[in-house]
Amino acid sequence: MARKTDGMQGREGLEDLFAAMREERVPPSDALMARVLADALAHQPRPALPVAAEVGAGVAVRPGLWRRLAGLFGGAGALAGMGTAAVAGLFIGFVQPEGLSLLGDAVLGTPLETVELIPDVDMLFAGN
Amino acid sequence: MPRDMQAEDPATAPDEALLARYAAGDPAAARALTLRLVPRAMGYAARMLGDGAEAEDVVQEAMLRLWRAAPGWRAGEAQVSTWLYRVVTNLCTDRLRQRKRRPAAALDEAPEVADGAQGAEAGLIEADRMAALQAALDALPDRQRQAVILRHIEGFTNPEIAEVMDIGIEAVESLTARAKRALTAILAGRREELGYGEED
Repeated sequence: MARKTDGMQGREGLEDLFAAMREERVPPSDALMARVLADALAHQPRPALPVAAEVGAGVAVRPGLWRRLAGLFGGAGALAGMGTAAVAGLFIGFVQPEGLSLLGDAVLGTPLETVELIPDVDMLFAGN
Repeated sequence: MPRDMQAEDPATAPDEALLARYAAGDPAAARALTLRLVPRAMGYAARMLGDGAEAEDVVQEAMLRLWRAAPGWRAGEAQVSTWLYRVVTNLCTDRLRQRKRRPAAALDEAPEVADGAQGAEAGLIEADRMAALQAALDALPDRQRQAVILRHIEGFTNPEIAEVMDIGIEAVESLTARAKRALTAILAGRREELGYGEED
């Protein structure tokens, strides 16, 4: 009985000691804080730089496909005009409108059936 | 807008948000995390090791590991404070293993709390009581000491301790119970000196 009473007192006293130790913190020294902060800054990743800054620093940025094509044909306007002409030619060749044939006959004076873009080989030997 | 401003305030931002900002290159986050975490880690390490200089080395190493882990930190995986306490625990365990374990000697090395002729009736100053408790903590097995310090000094819950120590909650309860029994027994012989054993 007496031992149990002692034990209870011991536990209660222990809780008091814990409470006192919670109050009595062990503070870090200023030197430790400085060392930890120095480590933090030394190992901190560098923030990402904006693209403009990278160009200024000499890092080449490769232009896109459309920008390179436009540059090749003299600008975006010229590239758009060529595209339009190509689409129109494809349309005319595919549809073959009647009015266009009559216009060709009037201009050439004879019906145009075929056009030989490469002369026949026989013409090369005709002079012999 | 005020909400955003509040979220950006380092003093009130959560640990994880500050760590993300640190990884993004914000120096204010580094300072805020240092001010917030180092005192807590220092208090724990000092109680674990009973040696302030060693505790400072441990804390610096633990914080260095945190800085290095920051760029790869995965949100929601672990609490920053729990992760740090686990690292401090492991570093302290390594140091304690390197020491020669002399529990009885450690208790004897505690400052004499009172001279028999002069101080028994006058009571003890608080520093003497803390020194005696620290010596008793030093005499505990490592795992018991970790559990009881985390529970009763650092104020962690049992689930948090289980996460820090990587054990089950029942094991935590067992460790803390055994630690308190052992501390009571160790301190029993010094009850009068510590000022809590006198019966009214």
